[in-house]
Amino acid sequence: MLETGVRQFRMAMGMVWGRRLSTRNLGRLVDDAIATLEEFGEPGADAGNVIDGPFSDPAVRKDFATRGVRRTAKRLASQSPFYARRFAAAGVRPDKLDLEGMRAIPVTLKRDLVERPDDFQCADVARYLATRTTGTTGRPAEIWLSRYEMELWPALGAISGLIRGELMPDDMLQVNVSSRATGSVHLNTAGCRLVGAACRVLGIVPPDEALDSLAERGATQLATVPSYLAELEVAARRRGMSPKDFRLRRIDVGGEILSTSLARGARETFGAEVRDLFAMTEVIPVIGRPCGDGHLHFDLNTGLVEYLDLDTGEPAEPGALATVVVTPYFPYRDCMPVFRYDTRDVVRCLPAEPLTCEVAGVPGTGLIEGKADQLLRLGPTEVVTPRQLVEAIEALPTRPWPARFRATVHNGRVRLTMAVSAIADLDEAEVARHFADRGLDLDLALVGDEEAIALRPLRSDLHETTFAARPALIGSLT
Amino acid sequence: MNLHPELHSSQLFLSLFQLVVTIIGAMLASLGALYYLRRVRLDRPALGRFNGRDVIILFTFLGILPGLYLLLPHWALISLLALTFIVALSIGYRPLLTPTQLWVGIGLLIGADLWMGQHMINDVFPWQFVWAENSLVMLLAVIAVANLYIQGGMQLKHVAMFALGLAFYDAVVTLVFPLSSLLLREFVNYPLFPAMGMRIGFDEAIVGLGDLLVYAGFTLAAFKGYGRRVLPLALTLVIVFGAILPSTSGLLINYIDSRADVVIPAQTWFGPAALITYLWLRRRYGRERTMKEFLASNDVLRPTPQPPTPPSVTAEPELQPAPEPVRT
Repeated sequence: MLETGVRQFRMAMGMVWGRRLSTRNLGRLVDDAIATLEEFGEPGADAGNVIDGPFSDPAVRKDFATRGVRRTAKRLASQSPFYARRFAAAGVRPDKLDLEGMRAIPVTLKRDLVERPDDFQCADVARYLATRTTGTTGRPAEIWLSRYEMELWPALGAISGLIRGELMPDDMLQVNVSSRATGSVHLNTAGCRLVGAACRVLGIVPPDEALDSLAERGATQLATVPSYLAELEVAARRRGMSPKDFRLRRIDVGGEILSTSLARGARETFGAEVRDLFAMTEVIPVIGRPCGDGHLHFDLNTGLVEYLDLDTGEPAEPGALATVVVTPYFPYRDCMPVFRYDTRDVVRCLPAEPLTCEVAGVPGTGLIEGKADQLLRLGPTEVVTPRQLVEAIEALPTRPWPARFRATVHNGRVRLTMAVSAIADLDEAEVARHFADRGLDLDLALVGDEEAIALRPLRSDLHETTFAARPALIGSLT
Repeated sequence: MNLHPELHSSQLFLSLFQLVVTIIGAMLASLGALYYLRRVRLDRPALGRFNGRDVIILFTFLGILPGLYLLLPHWALISLLALTFIVALSIGYRPLLTPTQLWVGIGLLIGADLWMGQHMINDVFPWQFVWAENSLVMLLAVIAVANLYIQGGMQLKHVAMFALGLAFYDAVVTLVFPLSSLLLREFVNYPLFPAMGMRIGFDEAIVGLGDLLVYAGFTLAAFKGYGRRVLPLALTLVIVFGAILPSTSGLLINYIDSRADVVIPAQTWFGPAALITYLWLRRRYGRERTMKEFLASNDVLRPTPQPPTPPSVTAEPELQPAPEPVRT
């Protein structure tokens, strides 16, 4: 207990002074967290402050953010060629920067990262591991990570996971994300190693293989993407599987839109809590978590999150759609940090009313509505978001999961192209009523199932072949 | 040779006096701490469980404590002690009292100790009041700190190891380098002297705060780890090896100082006994219970749920309609 206090003090001082944290110290704090749970069954009363921070006071929040932004900007100005130029061009002094003043710095776009990746590399850090975005929303960006980051993030995640009861030593985590997502895979495996949990990395294998693994080998946690979860749910339903076939207690998904219908279906089939997390390679370790009231709350300990109006680039008004702009703080981001990175992920700002959810002390927004570039503008104020379409399609009685569609605007109306099988057994009026009930007045174009697959690339399309799934080419069939 | 026989009682009286004071102190500390453990839950930090390295940290602190006594100026020493006891009392009794009651109570206790230690030690008679007040502060502090450690995850093995370490330490600083005697003579009349004690005439018997912490900690850890079945054994051990043997050892082997201020390395007796008892308990009953298992057991007293308050009876209207007959 006394030495844990010393370790926490060291960690806190590292944060206050803006120095790189000792990953060995953090690893020992993970051990302390495990010992605490073994002895007491739960963390102490002020655990919330340790992981969520004292952010209920706006003044504290602002002061913390200002110090984080200055610390990060000072380092970038001296170590990152891209930001040295950008800050100079904007005429800002990193050591005097504040939250209002940083708006003079243009947001960073994915295009910048793709076109000039070397300019983002900090001069004082050696590269260790490259990870790529999946490229489902455009040309992939390659992000280099340092050894420090690869040790820091799993440790922070492990402490948070243990305190929240999300990842425990007796858990087994099955990872069904693209094996090329090296950052994500590494974080999961390293986090499990620190906690003492088991980890099985399968990748995007044929759903039946993943289901067999879930059912027969007792995974308690599943990390995947919504589209692959949809494939798993459909396969499990086809096989007549139910919660009694699984030991799962939690399913974490991210990277795509998770509809409420799919979340409900997965809960019913797998008997596990389903969480729609926000995580993005470019801005790790800043992540967003959903609360019980359906808000998205970002971790403010590790970065600043701005919500900017899609048209003006100014802070969005309550109730408006906004793009999420993230600045991960130093020392949480080390090798290729970004500053004011525009994720182009759109959220709806909440009304200006006090929150009442379990994390009301941390500001929240609505869930991710989709990419800004995929919004359908029907008029000056009327916008249809990808989430609206996914929610509507995946709520169809046929459960056409994952939703395959293409939406375009013609003459001020949405034209939705989707698979004919998605509306099987429904007549035209029923289909129109289904979408109208969800606020969508649209024209429908139907295509065959094979053609529908090409309408919208999904992460589950990054299938990885296995020998087990291939038909035998040689040998007897008897 | 005793040059002032009128100032000193016989060794038998001193030993018996020491025995009575030690038994009273040890039992008040052990049973008081146990009463607290079964009823009161202390706040604990988000992360952290008492472990072996914490024992080493505590031991190191204990090792340098005499140096602080000798090196620090008087005002600094008293300030440090006052701060220590204020923190201990505030942590320990915060769950039981309102903030006003807590801070007024602490202020009175510590303030009285400081005042009495400065103004009531010129005559022999008021020393009993000084000791009584100081003993009360120490007792409350021991109850709080022992619970802080045990409720923080300290186990019987930690207490036993700590006691064994103290056994060697006590023996060295009492028998080899008489540091304890020196400190006792120098500081026994200081405010917030870390011991419980009493005085009869010129005879004084005291039991140190560290010893009391070990006795209370041992009792709590045994109770927490193995339940009420081992409580008689733990208390017997405290009485025999913590009180009787150290107090009467002067009669058996001549290592009691002939001065009025008696210094006995109590842990030299208690430490080995505590370790052997722990090893025996582990062999007989297996591993110790965790705090989680202890809290789930019947050894914890939980407040009896109060029956719901009946709705208040409202005055009936003067004219009440006759009830409808029940139709079945």
